[in-house]
Amino acid sequence: MADAGAPLPPSPTPPPPSQPGQPAARIPGQDEGELVARAVAGDRAAFGTLVDRYAGVARRVARAVLGNPEDADDAAQDAMLSALVKLDQYDARRPFGPWLLRIVSNAATDRRRRRSVRRAEPLDVGLTAGGPRPDVTAERRALGERLRQALATLPERRRIAVVLFDVEGYSHAEIATVLGIPEGTVRSEVFHARRRLRALLADWKEEG
Amino acid sequence: MKDLLPFDHRPDPVLGNALRRALDPGDATAFVARVLARAEQLRAASWDTVLARWARAGVAAALLIALAAGYLVGHASATPAPQPSVADALIAPPAHPGEVEIVLASVIENP
Repeated sequence: MADAGAPLPPSPTPPPPSQPGQPAARIPGQDEGELVARAVAGDRAAFGTLVDRYAGVARRVARAVLGNPEDADDAAQDAMLSALVKLDQYDARRPFGPWLLRIVSNAATDRRRRRSVRRAEPLDVGLTAGGPRPDVTAERRALGERLRQALATLPERRRIAVVLFDVEGYSHAEIATVLGIPEGTVRSEVFHARRRLRALLADWKEEG
Repeated sequence: MKDLLPFDHRPDPVLGNALRRALDPGDATAFVARVLARAEQLRAASWDTVLARWARAGVAAALLIALAAGYLVGHASATPAPQPSVADALIAPPAHPGEVEIVLASVIENP
């Protein structure tokens, strides 16, 4: 499904894009039932709005699972299209986000199992050794690389849990719905992931 | 980056921001356009499938109707029209009044 290189036909009534870097936190879902109903009825703009709203979180969750950004985008795209096909199965009384993110996490997991995921490039020696950091951008890039590598060492469920909780602002109960596990297990997963990632951040600060 | 309780209910903004930057996929515009374009392709493909299914059913139905019509027409032309018997001719109302009398008179005169 990786058709990034193929010429794309004009997008049907594209919604306004998200601002890069804007805080995702919780996505307002008051009118999502209506949006879904319209999308099921064939309203392309409604589906476009849903895709735009959830593109960020879907891609981040997929990247937390897969590591590689291209694989993550392919998985997120598969999930969005799978959700489009299954939209009529969505129960509008429940929140849309966890329903969609369950599809996303399953798509990412399936993709990871199907193919051998390309390994992340080994860290630059200068970065791992706390070498010179010419500017903030380079520093952030290096920290991001470290975090991604640390994430990659965590069990998959733990990665998704901590990203959904600390990055996306979902509750333990909602994450339990996404992962299909008890809420208490989610709390435990978040805790262990945080402990590992915080240790890394603390080391980074000390090095700085 | 203080120590938090194991089951802390509050998101950690420092860790959250760092993770967000680490996982930032970049501008969503191209991604959204790609998904919507693929969705259009899927819609078109599903319509093609439906139309193809209908076309197959239509061709099959037309063949059946043609076969049935051919059978009925062939059957009808192969069956000879029944010839009226003498009794039918006698019972049937005369096309020309007086014919019956002539017939009866000839029978009576030539027993």
